[in-house]
Amino acid sequence: MAQATGSRSGSRRPNLLDRWLRRRTRLDLPLTLAYRRIFILPTRFGWMLGVLMGAMLIGSLNFNNNLGLLTTFLIAATAVNSMLLAFRNLDGLHLRHGKARPVHAGEPVEWRMAAINESARDRTGLQLDSGEAASGFDVPAGTTQEVTVRLPDRHRGWHRPRRMRIQTTQPLGLFRAWSWIEPTSRFLVWPRPASGAPPLPEGGDDRQGLRSQALEEGEDFHSLREWREGDPLHRIAWKASQRHQTLLSRQFRRERSREVFLCLERAPGRDLEERIGIVTAWILRAEQQKRPWILEIGAQRLGPDASERHKHECLRALAEL
Amino acid sequence: MNRPATHLPLGPVAWTVATFLVAALPHLLAMPPVLGVVVFALCGWRLLVARKRWRLPPGWLRLLLTIAAIGLLAVSYGGLWGRRAATGMLCLMLAAKMMELSRLRDLRMVASVSLFLIASQFLFNERLVLLVYLFGGVLLALAALLRIQQLDVNRRTAPGGDVALLRQSALLLVSALPMALALWVTFPRLAEPLWGLPDEVMDGKTGLSDSMSPGSIANLFLDDSPAFRAEFAGEPPPPSQRYWRGPVLWRFDGDTWERAFLPSRTEAPRVPPGSNDYRYTVQLEPHERRWLFALDHPVRVPQDARLSLDFQLTRRNPITTLTEYSVRSNPDFTDMPRLPVTLRQLAVSLPEDRNPRTREMALELRERFEDDRALIDHVLDWLRTEPFYYSLETAPLGRHGADEFLFDLRTGYCEYYASAFAVMMRAADIPARVVTGYQGGFWQEGGQYLLVRNSDAHAWVEVWLEGSGWTRVDPTAAVSPARIRSGAGSVAGGGEGLEWLRALRNRYDRLQHLWNSWVLGFDADRQQRMMNFFGLPNLSRTGMALLMAGVLGLIVLALAWAWLRQPARSRDPVRRAWLRLARRMQRRGLGPGLGETPLAWAERVAHRLADGARFLELARDYCAIRYGDRGNEADRQRFIRAARRFPVRRAVEPRRAASV
Repeated sequence: MAQATGSRSGSRRPNLLDRWLRRRTRLDLPLTLAYRRIFILPTRFGWMLGVLMGAMLIGSLNFNNNLGLLTTFLIAATAVNSMLLAFRNLDGLHLRHGKARPVHAGEPVEWRMAAINESARDRTGLQLDSGEAASGFDVPAGTTQEVTVRLPDRHRGWHRPRRMRIQTTQPLGLFRAWSWIEPTSRFLVWPRPASGAPPLPEGGDDRQGLRSQALEEGEDFHSLREWREGDPLHRIAWKASQRHQTLLSRQFRRERSREVFLCLERAPGRDLEERIGIVTAWILRAEQQKRPWILEIGAQRLGPDASERHKHECLRALAEL
Repeated sequence: MNRPATHLPLGPVAWTVATFLVAALPHLLAMPPVLGVVVFALCGWRLLVARKRWRLPPGWLRLLLTIAAIGLLAVSYGGLWGRRAATGMLCLMLAAKMMELSRLRDLRMVASVSLFLIASQFLFNERLVLLVYLFGGVLLALAALLRIQQLDVNRRTAPGGDVALLRQSALLLVSALPMALALWVTFPRLAEPLWGLPDEVMDGKTGLSDSMSPGSIANLFLDDSPAFRAEFAGEPPPPSQRYWRGPVLWRFDGDTWERAFLPSRTEAPRVPPGSNDYRYTVQLEPHERRWLFALDHPVRVPQDARLSLDFQLTRRNPITTLTEYSVRSNPDFTDMPRLPVTLRQLAVSLPEDRNPRTREMALELRERFEDDRALIDHVLDWLRTEPFYYSLETAPLGRHGADEFLFDLRTGYCEYYASAFAVMMRAADIPARVVTGYQGGFWQEGGQYLLVRNSDAHAWVEVWLEGSGWTRVDPTAAVSPARIRSGAGSVAGGGEGLEWLRALRNRYDRLQHLWNSWVLGFDADRQQRMMNFFGLPNLSRTGMALLMAGVLGLIVLALAWAWLRQPARSRDPVRRAWLRLARRMQRRGLGPGLGETPLAWAERVAHRLADGARFLELARDYCAIRYGDRGNEADRQRFIRAARRFPVRRAVEPRRAASV
């Protein structure tokens, strides 16, 4: 959570802009772009053409050159019209369903949004600009398009997308019309799994908490299997071995289902972040091997379970730390 | 470094290059041909680069080539830095830009500076035909900008192709017209220019020069373009009186006639108004000189002009734009009843060592005729009876020009006659000066104005006579009366078969005249008059600006209303029918939700409709036709009919009441 709001480097000017924007309109999705939300300024090319037109105007006026003036005014009128058209390209566009699937830190977030064009005009050359990345899209008449923008990787935790712009410079690239959106719906970034994590904690290592020893022997007896080297002597089922003419050892349920007990406090790692990374890697591995696991974070205990939902719960709990 | 990324596709490059070439074309035509070749070569090469995906040349080579091109320009113009050289420079720089056309903004830069080139062409020529150039050029530039924009939003090809692009840009242009015209009419004009107009002669396309040596206006005779047009209040003068005075030449060095300092720098005496005065307005085409042309003798001088002692009418600045001025001329005025000694000396001086035969003949005549008038009549008679010919095709003259012409060559045009005649007069001690200007003109019945072409250029002589002052004598008229009666064109023999062509040209000139009066001549003064015509009082510049803002606001509002409020008609009639049905449903409160698909909508509202099943059927048909493969015409027509006829009625009330 620490990173969620602190990510915007706040100089004084953007703060003023923020406050003004917020007072002016609601920026949260869902919204419909309309004149109060749409801003227009010339692009760099627009300014350049403006300067050029100024030169043409002064020259033509000085020589009272009427055709020169007509040329200048034709271009000026086209520019004004292109401003209207840029505005029209955004006006009445509905935006909703801003969301992103959770990803692990270090992977790009794919933030998605639906753009709905109810009018009978195609809207082309639109762009969703998150400040860090931009993606172009078109919304043909009467359709709904899903727009995706890849946000760069974030730290684990809940995030809100930064303020984004829907913009267009259609039709001539002279004016940029844009609308701010600042979705309040959050998205989750799971911790980054540690790359060189130790194997899943099991097999008699006390510190990493294999649960088998907590079980009373004799309880939960499950089945017999052929004796393997390393099976303790007291587990050998002598009577049965005699019957089958081969050594058999008793199996307990706990071992058979290979349930893993993951405890954040007891995970290896120098600091909390490293331990979280390792536990995350374990969770992913356990899920991959379809082994149920229990996650213990302080007093909180999740599981045992091996389902997708459980994984999400665990990762979320780790992300929220 | 990353070549594929910076490589611009052929489409936008081709549009941009085409825009530039069209914009530069009139400039190139006026430039030395070698520069045009350079520009075309660079553009063609750039297109090849885009097509074959070659690499652009390295920076040092670009720099070298650019410097070479500028050097070529400097040599071609011989250091004459003027407007032509400036626009030529601009053309060359843009052509050089072709070598580093690698980014989107370069394309945009070239396209927009091409617009600047178009506007600057009108500094040289504002003919009616150039309107085609204006609109064509702007149309192309807009298409290029549209195409570049498509590249900007990452579309490699234009949807709908190049024709759609042109259609789109034509639409932009047409919708810009109302505002452009409103701006043009209401934009406050400058009553005085902010800075001086350029002095230098630019295109070599000039009217009369301020000196004359026989043979020098020959090229003017071949130039059929209009020199000026004159509208008369009342009857125009008869052809024999249509002498439009230009430079008056006093000094003769044996080869060339030139103006003299004293008479051209002294103010003219006041000419009293007479009873047979001509009142007329002249619309002078730019000719890059200071002359204004008027009939003899201007009573009132147009503003900003001065009248010299020898009745040359000049302006302070060269005429670089179409200029209109009004003059009143008194033809009965006696110019200089008494001739001051200094002027007399100026008007009889001849180089001693030239033209001995002419001199001899003059002296002989002087002895025979006491009276100046009788002498002049005799010489004119002599010209008339001896085998003299009027022709534009003649030989250049040598050291004794008048002798060679009068006694050997005997074939020439007005300059030859005027010069030789003046020499003869001076040799006979009669003060004489040469006047150049225009003679005649074509009377446009339809437009009620006199059209004077550059080919009507003429030279005649004025002699000073006791009692009548400076008197016009036209030796050419003695030789070729037709030249004076029906103009230069009839004598030069334009070919009789081309009569219809001439008629067409005259008709076109009437259009051009209207264009000149209403478009090119539109200035602060005319603007004010137009406002008065619409019942508006005289407006200050601020008032004008306010009026402009108001008109513009209205137009923008109208456009905004048309574009933003009215839903565009869908191009697909099936979709149109469906949307119409949706609007009808909306009115009953059963409209589709935001982003709801047709089927989902139909399923949601079907049970609330009296004909729910039919509506569901319609929705399925719609999806099948529009998104599926059932696209044949019969299906489409059936759907459109069904959608139109579908009765939007809610299901019966009691059932609804029960369900609540």
